Amino acid sequence: MTDVLEVVSPGLLATIQDGGRPGWRRFGIPPGGAMHRGAWREANRLLDNPPEAAVLECLQGASLVVLETVELATAGTWGARAWRAAAGERIEFPASLAGVWHYLALPGGINAERFLGSASVCARARIGAALARGDRLAGLAAPRGRFPAGVKARQPAATFAYDDSPLGIWPGPQWDAFDEASRTAFLTGDWRVSARSDRTGYRLEGQALVPPPGNLASEPVRVGSVQVPPDGQPLVTLNDGPTVGGYAKIALVDAADLDRLVQTRPGQAVRFRSLA
Amino acid sequence: MTRRRIAALPYGPDAWLLRFAERPGEAAFQSMRAITRALETDPPPGLVEYVPGYTSVLIEFAPGPAPDLGKLLTRLNRRLGEAIEPGPIHDIPVRYDGPDLVRVAEHAGLSVAEVIERHAGTVYRVALLGFAPGFPYLDGLDPALATPRLATPRSRVEAGSVAIGGDHTGIYSVPGPGGWNLIGRTSLRLFDPGRATPADPAAMCWLRPGDRVRCVPEAA
Repeated sequence: MTDVLEVVSPGLLATIQDGGRPGWRRFGIPPGGAMHRGAWREANRLLDNPPEAAVLECLQGASLVVLETVELATAGTWGARAWRAAAGERIEFPASLAGVWHYLALPGGINAERFLGSASVCARARIGAALARGDRLAGLAAPRGRFPAGVKARQPAATFAYDDSPLGIWPGPQWDAFDEASRTAFLTGDWRVSARSDRTGYRLEGQALVPPPGNLASEPVRVGSVQVPPDGQPLVTLNDGPTVGGYAKIALVDAADLDRLVQTRPGQAVRFRSLA
Repeated sequence: MTRRRIAALPYGPDAWLLRFAERPGEAAFQSMRAITRALETDPPPGLVEYVPGYTSVLIEFAPGPAPDLGKLLTRLNRRLGEAIEPGPIHDIPVRYDGPDLVRVAEHAGLSVAEVIERHAGTVYRVALLGFAPGFPYLDGLDPALATPRLATPRSRVEAGSVAIGGDHTGIYSVPGPGGWNLIGRTSLRLFDPGRATPADPAAMCWLRPGDRVRCVPEAA
């Protein structure tokens, strides 16, 4: 298919993402994939794409220009919409207080190289690379000239936005090893997302927790694990994060609540509630 | 004979850490190899992925009916004690000039030269790959060189960095954040997606669990 979009500016980070490549963590390969699963799926649904199709994931500040008239769908921080974009149209995803991640889908999914069954870029693993100015994107299907029947073409930003209701957590493997004060502080504390957060993990700032004494033998880490390094400031491991680690894991953020966590901007509040 | 048993610790609603040892060591390594071999050759229904660690193996299941954990544990317990043959020895050229070399030497009460001599004088075993793509956790570090991880991890460590974290040593396979003490550097690419082929995707990793590694000092 022909190129239909060109990157004018990637903003802070623009990468191709799909559902990721689970199943390779024993080689140290993180599962990767779209940070906000709901928005990734919605962008594809709006174009009647295969559910696992690759999309463009934008952190903030991305700017693109349409090269050929094409149906596009976006979902995420800026809400969701599907429309026919005309050649020459500029698409901008400026920073927003509503969230962090935004997605753009092309008909059939974005045509991208796959590795271990996924087109997801994992810059940390040197799997693919982030998009740069001048990079061009093509869909895997020709523009259809129509949208799927029954598509609600616009949804408010709130559907995919940050909100400060507590995130559900399960006890982590070391939950019982933390002292009562740290467990309580973790569950009742007001945490702030640190600016030192990215696709590998979100750091939280608040009252320092006390990790259990002794060195922990490195053990597997799930996406959503809340690890507590010696400085006591929790680190939530995310899609491109380490597969194994030696920090005590006090909790696991429920998979269903990770979409809300990742939309939290630095400085915004995060709270937890136990699902156990 | 010591009776070893695996404990299953819940790690979210659909996953467990199977704890098979109290501490790392020869027995733990053999147990890990035996358990992962069993999971590889005869995976329980619904298993999505297994990930080994030093004293535990993570098993994750697809959403659906709860797995028969009791049956799995009985089966895995029977495999403990199986002997697995060691892998080949690889020489890795290392330039010992890392920013934390002095910190490691001070912690050990040794000279920098002694740290290098001890670190390069050991044949390490690849216990597991993890943390980052193709990152080998190497067993066999001289206990005198054990150094606590940094209180606050660095946000970027270069690929090829040779490091000590607690009582492990390892080699960063890709650039990224890390909390280990950096003592040196190799030019070898431990992880290269370009080496993967459809027939052998694991070729992306230079080392495999069970392989052995020798660090050969290079002049600075």
